[in-house]
Amino acid sequence: MTGTEPLSPAPAAGESPTGAGRSDAGTEPLLSVTDLVKHYPKRGGTFVRHQVGVVHAVCGITFGINRGETLGLVGESGCGKTTAGRSVLQLIQPTSGSVRFDGRELVGLSGRAMREVRKDLQVVFQDPFASLDPRMPVGESIAEPLHIHGLWQHGSGRRRVADALSLVGLEPHYANRFPNEFSGGQRQRVGIARALILEPKLLVLDEPVSALDVSIQAGVVNLLDDLQQRLGIAYLFIAHDLSVVRHISDRVAVMYLGRIVEIGSRTDVYDHGEHPYTQALLSAVPVPDPRRERSRTHIVLEGDVPSPENPPSGCRFRTRCWKAQDICAQEVPELVDRGGGHPVACHFPESISTL
Amino acid sequence: MPDPSDATLVVDQLVVDFATGEGPVHAVRGVSFSLAPQEVLGIVGESGSGKSVTALAAMGLLPKNARASGSITYAGRELLGLKEKELAKVRGTGIAMIFQDPMTSLNPVYKVGWQIAEAIQAHQDVGKEEALAKAVALLETVGIPNAAERVGNYPHEFSGGMRQRVVIAIAMANDPAVILADEPTTALDVTVQAQVLSSLKKALEQTRASLLLITHDLGVIAGLADRVLVMYAGRPVEIGTVEEIFYEPAMPYTHGLLGSLPRLDSDGRERLRQIPGSPRSMVGDHSGCPFAPRCPLRADICDEEEPELRPVVSAAADPAAGDGRLPAGPPHMAACHFADRVTGLPVASMFTDSAADQEGVAL
Repeated sequence: MTGTEPLSPAPAAGESPTGAGRSDAGTEPLLSVTDLVKHYPKRGGTFVRHQVGVVHAVCGITFGINRGETLGLVGESGCGKTTAGRSVLQLIQPTSGSVRFDGRELVGLSGRAMREVRKDLQVVFQDPFASLDPRMPVGESIAEPLHIHGLWQHGSGRRRVADALSLVGLEPHYANRFPNEFSGGQRQRVGIARALILEPKLLVLDEPVSALDVSIQAGVVNLLDDLQQRLGIAYLFIAHDLSVVRHISDRVAVMYLGRIVEIGSRTDVYDHGEHPYTQALLSAVPVPDPRRERSRTHIVLEGDVPSPENPPSGCRFRTRCWKAQDICAQEVPELVDRGGGHPVACHFPESISTL
Repeated sequence: MPDPSDATLVVDQLVVDFATGEGPVHAVRGVSFSLAPQEVLGIVGESGSGKSVTALAAMGLLPKNARASGSITYAGRELLGLKEKELAKVRGTGIAMIFQDPMTSLNPVYKVGWQIAEAIQAHQDVGKEEALAKAVALLETVGIPNAAERVGNYPHEFSGGMRQRVVIAIAMANDPAVILADEPTTALDVTVQAQVLSSLKKALEQTRASLLLITHDLGVIAGLADRVLVMYAGRPVEIGTVEEIFYEPAMPYTHGLLGSLPRLDSDGRERLRQIPGSPRSMVGDHSGCPFAPRCPLRADICDEEEPELRPVVSAAADPAAGDGRLPAGPPHMAACHFADRVTGLPVASMFTDSAADQEGVAL
């Protein structure tokens, strides 16, 4: 591939090429999210619309991402992982909490200042059919961020687009084609090229491979691995597919009903998961290995996820937890590190193997 | 497995074409399999491989622009070309079906109890009260809490997983001999999938039905299937026991599928294997092996001659293989000119892990 200019490889993993001269570059995480809360008003009423309730989508989550690192954010539908991702991007205004990115507080930033930050903070969405304008050649879609940020130059613009295309493994002359001429996997590559053209420091990937068939998905996952190694970008990888998340992440955060219940290294969470929900989630994923799959014990949870409008008191998982005691209804278990750098929000954490 | 005369459902050389504006689409090009009593046969393949159309044909549910030929027999009776009235007798009691999206199989304006009772009364001579009592018992079997109260609820009052369990209850209502499940858990979260799969297992135990399980999820197949049929471009390219397919695949496409899966149970950062290219168009006529353009083992013969399904001569019989459930089954078959060479190779070893796009532009 030839895409080394101007998307130059990072000098070292964890050090951004443009981070030179920033004094805090080595110490502060690239992104720190603290006590992030997002409540949506629920409206109703027969004749006059008025607020009838509050949907507690995200309720005080805290996490950080270091430079060049991948944090996987997993959970099931409605757990708040997408809301968390969009709050980081300031595509929705959080109700409270702080999002610090590259030394700057993003919550409350003006539109103009936020636009400046977006050069370093880009996003790839799930549906490659919806995120590209069908009437725009993909080359123009990829160049659009350059125009928006006033970085388009007649001499180098086209070359940058061609470089971005070859960086994601597409032929540079595809720039003149329209999205309908591409397959799903190729469109997702175009979406990634568009996100990379500004050389961001953090890429938020919201279910980037969920819409793809497995054989195509493998190519995009491998591409994301390669790009991180070459460019030193950090990823916030939001997905419900636990196998993909294990493959791609350095650290993993598990969400349930608006809260992070467990966060730790890939091995901590997958091999030594201590939260009962993490264990139930992992044990529910079928493994494509008949002998192993048939010898595993599967934890089948009772009932459904409670409504985020009226979440249970104390621990939110207690209504489905086989370990629940009185304390679980009275006290919210804090996400605390019991030594070992692997915080778990449970009153009765215990490591068991689920594979 | 018993000899084919015992089989409940036998599909022989099924061909399904769709008439479209761009010419005929060859959705299914010669599928044959038989389903033994109480057997679980998994059909896997990617979007457009013809797996769902096969199931629809067996239920007599093909759209009007479809033309089916070949044979589908249930309990010795030919289903293809059967009159709607006769088919209605087979559906439910003989063959029941579970679709992917429960909201399209349930009627939103009727209570679920009524919908289950309707299915019971369609085939059994029972009163309304008795049918409703049976509906409650069925909902209990599939694990719906407070079944006696929930029969009075409408589908929108249930969550997605519970709705799918209601559909399973309807499918088992008339004690069918065969259940066809088309991507029954694809739209569901994993913990909900686990609940639905456990309901499905209970339904199989209670009705002693065979199951034709169509899914793209190889993990679900690994946990549930006795035998597996792999489809590609409208044809079966490999069929064998679940052990043969997962541990000694004999068709490069099967290798590629297994190698492209990220694994929950592996910590290694080993790269995923990729199948280059994309599936070929189903429109028009082609010659040669449909997988040849994507196959690393492609040779001249692959472009000239489409390989038939042939028994695989296994390099070495695996002593650890087999869980004893199906001692002497039908042979492991693969449609590849080099099947005997492929079956001894480590899974997916012939594919690369390059991240470059190898799909080719779809036009």
